[in-house]
Amino acid sequence: MQISESEVGGVTVLGLSGRLDGLAAPELEKKLAEVVAGGKDRLVFDCAGVEYASSAGLRVFLLAAKQLKTRGGRCGFAALTAPLREVFSVSGFLDILEVHDTVAQAAA
Amino acid sequence: MMKPLTFTEEIVLLALDDQTGAQLPLPVTALAYGLAGAVLADLAVAGKIDTDEKKLVVLDATPTGDPLLDPWLALIAADNTVHPVAHWLSVLADRQREVEQPALDRLIDRGILKRQDKKILWVIGLRRYPTVDGHERTEVRTRLGQLILGEDLPDPRDAILISLLRGCRLTDQIFAGPEFASREQRLATLAKMDLVGREVAAATTDAIIALSSAMNTAVPHM
Repeated sequence: MQISESEVGGVTVLGLSGRLDGLAAPELEKKLAEVVAGGKDRLVFDCAGVEYASSAGLRVFLLAAKQLKTRGGRCGFAALTAPLREVFSVSGFLDILEVHDTVAQAAA
Repeated sequence: MMKPLTFTEEIVLLALDDQTGAQLPLPVTALAYGLAGAVLADLAVAGKIDTDEKKLVVLDATPTGDPLLDPWLALIAADNTVHPVAHWLSVLADRQREVEQPALDRLIDRGILKRQDKKILWVIGLRRYPTVDGHERTEVRTRLGQLILGEDLPDPRDAILISLLRGCRLTDQIFAGPEFASREQRLATLAKMDLVGREVAAATTDAIIALSSAMNTAVPHM
């Protein structure tokens, strides 16, 4: 999995591409810890390149949303691919997480 | 500081009646599947296995160092065929006693439960596991209860635990008060969040249907 970091209007955007599986999840969790430790309270995952997400990957997404919310921040998920939207739907993540069509909407 | 309870220990603990130490009444095989799911969840959060809708894969076959989990990790890792989660739930559920007894023993070693042997009619042995100090059970019930009654996001660990508890129908026993009656939809939403818990729910439902069907066949309607 490739992880890129950028900023859109003061919001940290983590761009993900590839497979978010049990091997990639620890790397994303480490990146999340860096973002949280850096004091950022707005985070958007740009999921346009996510080909696959396993249970381990979904746990990191939930952890991110929980951590940001706990500190009074927000965490959004943008541009979900069809496979990711499917697992978000089955897991009920579409109902409880902030999901947007575009990064710009998620960062607004 | 005491090491946090594993999911396996938490399910074993929460499946016991506060006062008597007897197992709470659950549908047939529900606890077996719940404990099987708890083992898989423990292995998943330890980074040893990963799951999706179609398969369970081993990420790292090196032992966790936890004797409650390592025999099962070794068993899964020794199978060269990749199976879905439901397969391993079935395998572990068939060995419920081997999952449950070590967890009970550890809860006794930790000073959370005590073993109590009684005789019924002076002959039939009855073993119970009453709590020494109910604070662990109270703490987890309070935390999960607040989550169900509120609108907060769960952390991944609580999402897994709620999903497992609902999967094996323990939520019906643990969160039975009137304040939870209107929170079924919220509970369902939380319980959907973990794949293993969803599979536990499906396996439990299938077992109940199979038993019901067998009983209807064996005892024709009058």
